[in-house]
Parts: sequence; structure tokens; C-alpha cells
Amino acid sequence: MVSAIFILAIGLGAAFLLGLLRDTWRGLAYALTLAALAAMSWIAGSWLVALAGGLGPVEIRTAGFAPPFAIALRMGLPEAALSLLISLTGLLSAVYMRGTLMRLGRRAMAVLLIAVMALVGIVLTRDAFNLFVFLELTVIATGGLVLLSADPRALGAGFKYLVVAQVISILLLVGVIFAYHATGSLNIDDMAAANLVTLKGGAIAFFLMFVAVVAELKPFPANGWALDIYESAHPAFSAILSAALSAAALIAADKMLSIGGPEWLPVASSLGLVSFLGANILALAQDNDRRLLGYSSIGQVGLVLVVLGQRDILGASTPFIAGGLLLAHAVAKAGFYWLSGLVQGRSLMDWTALRGHPVLIFAFVTFVALLLGLPPFPGFYAKWGLVHALAADGRYLVLGLILLGSLIESGYLMRWFGYIIKRPQVDLPPLPSLSKRAVVLTAVAAGWALGWIWGEISGYPNLLLSIPLLFALGFLFIEWLPAWVKNLVAIAGLGAWFWYTFPGYDPLHLIYAAIILVGGAVILVASFDAKGRRVGFYPPAMLMYAGLSMLILAQDSFAFFAAWEYLTIGSYFLILRGKKSEPHALSYILFSLGGAFAILAGLALGAQGVLPFDVADLAKAPARLAPWIFALLAIGFMTKTAAIGLHIWLPGAHAEAETDVSPMVSGILLKAGLFGLTLLLMIMGKQSLYGIELTYVMLWIGALSALVGNLLAAFQEDAKRLLAYSSIGQMGYALFGLAMMNHLGWLMALMFVINHYIYKSMLFLSVGGVAKRTGTRDMYRMGGLITLMPLSFIAVLIGIIAVSGVPPLSGFGGRWIFYNAIMSSEYRLPMVLIFLSGPIAFLYLFRLIHTIFLGQLKDEHRKLKEAPLWLILPQMLYVAFLLGFAVVPGLALRHVDAYISEFFPAHALIWDDITITSTFGYWSPISIMVVVGCIFAVLFLWLLVLNHRAQKVKQFNIVYSAERPFRPETTHFAWNFFAPYRKALGFMTLPLVTRFWQAQTDLLHSTAQVSRRFYTGNGQTYAVHMLAFAVAVYLIWMGS
Amino acid sequence: MPFEWVQIPYALLTLFIVVNYGLVLTALIQKIGARVGRRHGIRIYQNYVDLLKNYALRTHITHGVMFYLGPVFRLTGGVGLLLFVPTIFGSEMFSNLSFAGDLILALYFVFFGSLGMALGAGESGHPYSAIGVTRGLSQVTAAELPLALAVFAVSLQYETLSITEIVAAQQGGVTNWTLFTNPLAVAAAMLSFLGSMMRPPFDVVLAPQEIPIGPPTEYHSAYLALMQTNRVIFPVAKVVIYMNLFFGGATGWGEFAVKVFCIYMVSVLVGVVFPRFRVEQSIRWFLVWAVPIGVLSIVIA
Repeated sequence: MVSAIFILAIGLGAAFLLGLLRDTWRGLAYALTLAALAAMSWIAGSWLVALAGGLGPVEIRTAGFAPPFAIALRMGLPEAALSLLISLTGLLSAVYMRGTLMRLGRRAMAVLLIAVMALVGIVLTRDAFNLFVFLELTVIATGGLVLLSADPRALGAGFKYLVVAQVISILLLVGVIFAYHATGSLNIDDMAAANLVTLKGGAIAFFLMFVAVVAELKPFPANGWALDIYESAHPAFSAILSAALSAAALIAADKMLSIGGPEWLPVASSLGLVSFLGANILALAQDNDRRLLGYSSIGQVGLVLVVLGQRDILGASTPFIAGGLLLAHAVAKAGFYWLSGLVQGRSLMDWTALRGHPVLIFAFVTFVALLLGLPPFPGFYAKWGLVHALAADGRYLVLGLILLGSLIESGYLMRWFGYIIKRPQVDLPPLPSLSKRAVVLTAVAAGWALGWIWGEISGYPNLLLSIPLLFALGFLFIEWLPAWVKNLVAIAGLGAWFWYTFPGYDPLHLIYAAIILVGGAVILVASFDAKGRRVGFYPPAMLMYAGLSMLILAQDSFAFFAAWEYLTIGSYFLILRGKKSEPHALSYILFSLGGAFAILAGLALGAQGVLPFDVADLAKAPARLAPWIFALLAIGFMTKTAAIGLHIWLPGAHAEAETDVSPMVSGILLKAGLFGLTLLLMIMGKQSLYGIELTYVMLWIGALSALVGNLLAAFQEDAKRLLAYSSIGQMGYALFGLAMMNHLGWLMALMFVINHYIYKSMLFLSVGGVAKRTGTRDMYRMGGLITLMPLSFIAVLIGIIAVSGVPPLSGFGGRWIFYNAIMSSEYRLPMVLIFLSGPIAFLYLFRLIHTIFLGQLKDEHRKLKEAPLWLILPQMLYVAFLLGFAVVPGLALRHVDAYISEFFPAHALIWDDITITSTFGYWSPISIMVVVGCIFAVLFLWLLVLNHRAQKVKQFNIVYSAERPFRPETTHFAWNFFAPYRKALGFMTLPLVTRFWQAQTDLLHSTAQVSRRFYTGNGQTYAVHMLAFAVAVYLIWMGS
Repeated sequence: MPFEWVQIPYALLTLFIVVNYGLVLTALIQKIGARVGRRHGIRIYQNYVDLLKNYALRTHITHGVMFYLGPVFRLTGGVGLLLFVPTIFGSEMFSNLSFAGDLILALYFVFFGSLGMALGAGESGHPYSAIGVTRGLSQVTAAELPLALAVFAVSLQYETLSITEIVAAQQGGVTNWTLFTNPLAVAAAMLSFLGSMMRPPFDVVLAPQEIPIGPPTEYHSAYLALMQTNRVIFPVAKVVIYMNLFFGGATGWGEFAVKVFCIYMVSVLVGVVFPRFRVEQSIRWFLVWAVPIGVLSIVIA
């Protein structure tokens, strides 16, 4: 094994050698630079492999003496990993900057080498003064490298940096001197052993050193200088600054903390938290890409600092967690900066240039996922561990702030992604440079590799190796195939997985599995309608299905949460595909991630640090915490079911999605939330918080959702929005049923699960087909389509009868079970809302069918054809199924009924031949169907006898106040259909919830705008910031 | 309750009695209404004449399939509603087809006919039909609520959803009627009743005195005849439910005739006194006056 000191020696030596070369031998100089960086990477890499293989940390004594007589270096696993990170970032940046370096010549290359060498030095050294030296070297090299940029602002930025860096250096140097005076050693371990902070003068010495090192992390708000550099420097250098310098500074801070002892950990945590939150809030207001990334870097580094500050509870897992976050950040941020070099404009909108380059989009997505800690990337494992440790130790404030910061971060990153996919594309295509693209792709590969590695060392089954996920990811590689082939593969995959997992399900899980996998396959039949390759559809769709199918199989909390994240991400990308879905997809992902964080916190509280944690063990949660766990999980799940208050994302997201996506996200995805709620209630039962029973609160939420969802649906002009609001109402019913916490309530909820899947999928497909033909979703622009689109009409007709609960179709079964359920419920008042919302459903259902299919046909629609066959086919399957389910609901329900009896034995139904009997009443679906069918048939025949020669008259042949109408637009009664109703109850449709959430985001944005003013761009201001920062740290320290 | 074939002729007999009773009753009530307004009113057999005339009329007109089926839906709704509910308590013969379902079936089957007719009327393309439907639907959301609450209160009171059992529980004297054992529920239900009988002040749906409006606008001849048939069956069927739930049911056709007439008359008495509400007014009226009583009834139950 080559000694680690050669990493430094090679860097330094090569830099000297470069000085000996002629300035014109630039090719040679460049080759030397690359070779040196490659050698450094290789040495670091070989150490990493050896150390990971079980080798212990190695101390390197320069000059052969033990400290304090000589400088000591240490190569342990973290050092090796970070050295590799730094030298590889340097190498890749050098490749990336080939043009610039060749232009500027050997001096620039030497400075680059020195920078990388110095950063590795910071990582390796165990000597405080040596640390100062390497920091100085970094500063000088950085100053030089900033000037590589063609941006004229870089000069000013570099100068400001030097000013601040000198302040930092002075602080550090004075601190080191004092510390040396106090301990008699410059060695960091000696200082720690001597307990520096307790010695006379030691505390102030440490304070100075600590402030200096932490200032190198560019903590918020003392970081204006760093942001100016991020904004103006060459992107490849920003990559080094963000990935390598941050990593080095963090390990330096870690070394300082080892001296400072536990007393300083809270200070580090506080600084980290302020940085993480502050930087992310400020990032919200940025429209310059590199500055935004700069803020994000500062936030991420702050987060890692928090982790270092929590080492007292994280213990041995600190490197795993801090490393996961840091490496994910470094790879993602370096990747982002390199990618930014391909984009020619500096505004966020200029990144729309990436559109049409799937590989670059994939890179962007990978980097975002890395930063946000989404599975299967290291940040996910890290946040999982961190949150669990915090929850177990009762550090709820830290936990809450971290999750809040993460949510804000996902806000601006996802918004940016939305811009890229949806905003008008700029005219500046990404640079064609192959080497630059290769560098970006290396970062992508590194990100996925890290995901794999973290999965391997996490102690959990590797997320990357689960079959559903691999199947979904596999679609990335067959994107070049035509859509129908991929569709076949997708359908086959869902079917095969259902077949494979079938024996393992109990009746409850089987219902969800059938809806997700079989139901998903039926909806995919509609996707055969898509032409071409449909790039970007199948990977997210299958990711969503993978998440859903893994969710219902998950046993332990980790698998459950990972699956939850998958289905959230997959569905987000899917929703974003809709034409005008950008803002709605954003709101969807924010609510979903917020909900996911609530779930994460709930699971972590429940686990109390015991991992892996079986979800069923939530039942054993300590009584003190149980209601909070319940509340957090319930909020998380209710975000997905769009319960009132958390519902504002749904209408846009479902309405703007593509024709075959709407049924997926409505008919299937919403069930994920219900599944979670079912599980939660099954495991945790009733919980009370401050004397209020939480299931009772859920009952009210369910009832209110049903009412408001139905009411708002009645006032929509857009057919798909109408259906979307109706879903809110329907999910309200299901939530209500579950919250009743009795046998029949649950049965009703499960009946809603099945019914809602069928009729909502069907209705979204029919309305989607109509919208496809008419070119609009506004119902008042349609009318009279019944004869042109009879099959769509039949689907909608059957659908609305089923939704409304009118006998003889299956919706009535749901209502019947509901009435029986409320008879045995102990609550009365919430029923009032449910009773009110029932008939309101008729309003929107009638509107849906009337304004589209009945009334007056528009002139421009006279030649329309029936919806495409592939859309009609699944609808007809649903019609058949609805009729079947109406006659023999027992096929599915009696097994579930028996299964529920295990939890709620009272009031089970009795399933005789054809009659279903409850404690209170009875219901015979077949008899109803036969009786109604016979009466109808007899009367119909009678009418035929009386009136068999009736001829169809022309459109305007109606009795109309002695006039003859001739314009369908003025004769079709459709717009503002329920005007009197609006007069009576319109006050209930005020967008109060939307306003509330709008106010929250506005508040964040205005905070960001106000805070921006502190960054004047003036070097003196920044120096004052630095000073104020030192004072602030001092105060925090005194306070803690 | 197992099904036997003999129940079919029995059910048809019920139907026959109710149709005739309904024809006379509605004429009588129209006459009473006219007399209050100092008019003479129609002849007591006028409904028969109208009905026969309309059935005899021949038309060659239809606006489409749904238009054609609308009246069929409508009458199926009326006949079904009547037959799903036992008419005479204690009589096997007139328990009709109530084996198919309980009170909930009856409550939801009310909407079957309305929905079908609304669809048929919609296909006629006449804006007045659609306007009538929107008015009707809007009003029904508020008007049905007190009834739903009252039904809930009553089924909680008797701990059953079976109409037969509810009637059974009220036997043994007038004081056992729900009217006296649960007056709040009955009050709420009767206010709701006003809203569902198409009489003033809640008859803006059809607006019978002005321009032709409402679902039947385009219907004529045999279509209209089917709807007229329904118009004599449906209110009686509905009143039967009220009678069974709140007024002790009927043990014979005589009691049936009296009770149905008296309950029907409640809406007539109110109707001849009050002028018509606009839709939003009636919604507010139900929410302000009727719903609180219903809420009270379920809270107390």
C-alpha cells in the first residue's frame, strides 16, 4: 500500500514540476495535472478499499517523530472516503475545465493541484497548526481559481473572499497559539486528551479556532462572500468548492468538535440548524441557478454540521449518517455545477434547454433525488437513521426543524424541475461537449453507486435490489422501444407480480393488491392509445406501481417508508406530464413530502431507536407517545387521501394529468393513503390526545371532506376537476367509515375502496376520451354527445348511478352498509354532514352526464367519433364488473367481512343465499336487481306497444315560447349550472384552505426577500457579518 | 322472508288499489285546493279521463333513447318504491316485495325514478327541463336532510332498519306511534315532507302555474301518461313510508286510506297558505328551521 502522504506529495510535487515546464507545453502540463490527480485518486481509492476491508486507521508520522514533535496525519475510513471524493472531484473538474486550463496554462493547473492537495491535507492532518497551513493554502488557491472564470464579477468575489478568509485565518492562528500555550501541543488528539476547554485560556482558544473553522463552512448568514463566488466562479471550480471544500471543512469542524467535547455539540447543532433553515429559505427567492445551488450547498453543509453536533446520541452511526448526507450532497452538487456549465443561460428558466435531452434530465433528477435524500440514495438511509436517533432521544425541535428545512429544500428544487419540464423552452441548447457530459454522467453513476453502497452497509435489504424497483428502473433502458411494446411489458409485469405474490395476501391486503396490480393493468390497457415512444412515461408509472406493490408487502417500517417515497416520486413525475400540471404537480409533491415527513417522524417516534422496527409493533408504543405517533401518521396518510385541509393539491393534479394517468392517480394512488390509515387504525386502535379521541376528529375530517368535496364538485365547469373534487368527497366517506372503528364502518370503507377504484377510473377514462375528441374539458362547451359517443355515455351513466348509491348498482351496497354502521356507532353529530353531502353528490353527477351527453349538440361537434377503442375497452370492462359486483358483492366482501371479524367481532353480516342480513336490516342485491329489472322491462314493453313508431326529431324541435331556437350555445343550459345553489351555500366554497397555505408560502418567500437585503455584495458588510457571526456563536455557547 | 310466486299477483293487487286510490285522492286534493281559492275545481274522476286520454294519444316523436326511457325509469321508480315497502301491517298479502331490502332501500330507491326522468328530460334538449332539474336537485339536497336525520333517529329508537319491525313497535295504541314517542323526529320529517310533495311553498321545481318548466316540459302523450301514472303512485308510496315510520302504519285498507289522506293533507294545508319560495330561499329555510330539529332528534335519541 502506498503511504497516504504521497497523496500530498504527488500534488505538491506535480505543482512544482509544472513550474519547471515551458509555458507552451500546455498539453504536457495538462497531462501531468491529470496524471497527478489520477494518482492521488488512486492512492485514496486503494486506501478506501483496504480500510473498508477491515484495516484499522493508520497514523502517519512525518519526520519519524511522534507528536507533538512532528506533524501527524491519520488515514481512517472517513479520511480515505473524503480524500477520494476530493481528488476525484479535482480530477473530474480538471477534465471538465480542459479548455480553460489549456488557455490559462500551467500556473492555473498548479493552483488547481495545490487546492486539491491542500484540501486532502485538511482531511488528513491531526495537527492544529498544520490545519491552519492547509487552510491558508486553500484560501490562496481558491483566490487564484476564482479568477479562472470568464465572469467579470469573479475578481470582486475573489477579493472579498480573500478579505474574509484573512479574518478567519487570523482568528484561527490566534486560537492555535493560545491552544498551544494551554496544552503544550499542537496535536489535535493531544488537545482533546488535555481537555483544552477546561484549561485556563483554553476555552477562548477553542472558541477562536472553532469560529474560524465553522466560518469555513460558510454558515448562514455569514456567507455572502461564498455565494458571490458560487455565482461567478467557473462551474467546475464551484463544484470543487461545494463538494470538496465543504467536505474538508466539515471534517475540520469535526476535528475541532473532538477537542471541544460534548459542551460544544449543541453549539454546532444550533449553527447547523440555522444554516440549514436559513439557506434553504433564502434559496427560495433565487433565480440565478448557481447562486441557488450555493445556498443549497450551505444548507446541506449545515445539515451535516447538525449531524456532527448530534454525535452524542448518534454514536457509532455518525460516520454512516454524516457520510451519507455529505457524499450525497457532494456528488449531487458537483454534478449540478458541472451540469450548469452545459447550460448556457444563468436563469433557472434557461435550464429548459435540457428538455429533449433525456440523459441530462435523468442526471438532473438523480441529483435532485440525491440532495433530497430520496430512496435509494444515501441521504435516505442517513435521514432515516438521523430522524430515528433524534426521535428516540426526544430531540423533537431539532427533528422538526430538519424536516421543515428539507421540505423547503424540496420546494425550490422540485419547482425548478417543474420549470425545466414545463416552461417555454429557451433557444440556447446545452453545450455539445462530450467530455463535459461524460463528467456529469460520472457523477450520476457515482450517485447510483453510492446508493448501492449505502444500501449494502445499511443493515437493511438493499433498496436498489428489490425486484419491483429494478423492474421500474429497467424501463429506463427500453425507452427507445415503441410505447405499445413497453405497455405490454408493463402489463405483463404487473400481472406476473400479482401472480407471484398472490399466495401471501390476507383478504384485506388482497383487495389492495388486486386494485393496484390487476386494476393497474386494466388502466394500462388505455395506455395502448398512446402513439410513438412516449418517453418518460413508463419509468415513473412503474416506479409508482413498484412503490404501491412494495407498500402492501412491507413488514418493517423501513420498507414501508421507502415504498411510500417511491410511490410519491413516481406519481409526481407522472402527474407532471400533464400539459398544464406544473403548479399542481409542485403542490402535490410538497404536500406529499410533507406528509411523508410526518409519517417518517411518526414511525421514528414509534420505533424509539429500535431498528428494524416491525410496523405491527406500533401497537406497543409507549402510552405517552402513542397519540402523537397516531396523529403524525394519520396526517401523513390523510395528505395522500386529500382530507380536507390537506386537499388543495388534488383537483389540479388529477385534472391536469394525462387521460390514462388521471385514473391511475385517482383510482389507485389514493388507496395508498387509505391503506396506510387501515393499517394504522388496525394496529393502534383508538387514541386520545388531551382527552380528545383522535378517531373522533378523523370522523369529523372525513365528514367535512365528504361535504366540501361534493359541494365543490358541483360548482366545477371542468369535467376532470369535477371528478377530482368528487374523489375528495369519496375519500372522505372512506375515511369516515374507517374512523367509525366498527365492523361495518370498515366494511363500508373497503367497499368504497373497490367501488371508487372502478367508477372513478371509468369516469376519468370516459371524460378523458370525450375531452380528447372535443378538445376541451369545459362541460358547457360540450353537450348532446350521447348519440355520437354512446359507449362513453353508457360508462358515465353506469358510473354515476354507482357513485350516487341509487339501487340497484353497487354504490347502494356501500350506502346500506353505511347506515348499518352508523347504527352501531357511538357518535351522532358527524353523521349530519354525511347526510347532507349524500344528495349533493347528485348535483355534480347529474351535471356531469347532462352537460356533456345530453342537451344540445354543438355545431363543431357534429362529426365527432366515439372515443378511441383503447379508452373504451377498459371502460366496458368496468361496466361489466360494476354490474357483476352489484349482483354478487359477496364474492369480494364476505371474505373481507370474515377477516374484519378478527378485529371487530360485533355486528358481522350474515351472508345467506341471496340475502345479506345485519343486526338491524337486510339487503338482497339479486332480488333488487330482478325486481327492478322486471318492472322496468314490463313498463318499457308497454311503452313500446303504445308508442313504437316514434321517430327521432331534429335537434331544435322543442316547445320554446313560440320561438325556434337555433344556436346550441344559447339553448344548452350548462354554464353555472347550480346558480341558485351557489347563492344559498356558496359561502361554504370560499377557498379558505388555499388561502391559508398560500399565506404560508408567501410568508416564506417574503422572509427570503427581506433576508436577501443583508447580502449587499459589499466586502465590508461581509466582514461585519463575520464579526457578528463570531459574537453570535459566543452567545450561543454562553447560552448552552 | 322467502320469495313465493303468489307474491307477484298480490303485489299487483296492491298496485291496482293504490293507483285507483291515488287517482281519486289527487283529484280530491286538487279540488280542495281549488275550493280554498274559491274555484270550483276538477271533477273527481278527471284524472281517469286525463290518463286514458294520454295513453290513447299516439305520437311519432322522440328526442332519443334516454328521452324515450325517461318515463319508464320514472314509473319504475314509483312502482318499485311502492312494492319495496309493506303496505298493510300484519298482512302477508300486502307486504309486497319487501324481502328485497329494508328502509334504506326505500330511501335510496326514491332517487331512481327522479334520476332516470332527469336524464330523459335532459336529452330533450329543452333548457327549461334542465333548469327544472337543477332546481329540483338543489332543493332536494336540503329538503332530504331532515328526513334522513329523522329516519336515523327513528331507527336508533327502534334499533332496526326493517320497516315491518318499526311498524310492529308502534302497535298497541295511538300513544305508541312515533309521533308521540319521538315528536322531534316526526316534526323534522314532516317539514322535510313539505319539501318533497311539489306543493307550495316548495314547488318552484315545476312552477306549475307559469310557463311550462321542469322535467316534463317536452313529454306528451304516452310518455306523459306514464309520468302521470307515476304522479298518482309516487306520492302515495312516499306517504306510506311516512305512515309506517311515524304514524303506526296501517292494519287495513280503511286505516290506510284515512292515514294517507291525512298525511297528504299536511302538505296541502301548508301549500294553500304560503306563497312560493325561490330555490335558495327554500334551501335556507330547511337548513335553518328543519335541520336543527332533526339534529336535536338524533342527539336525544
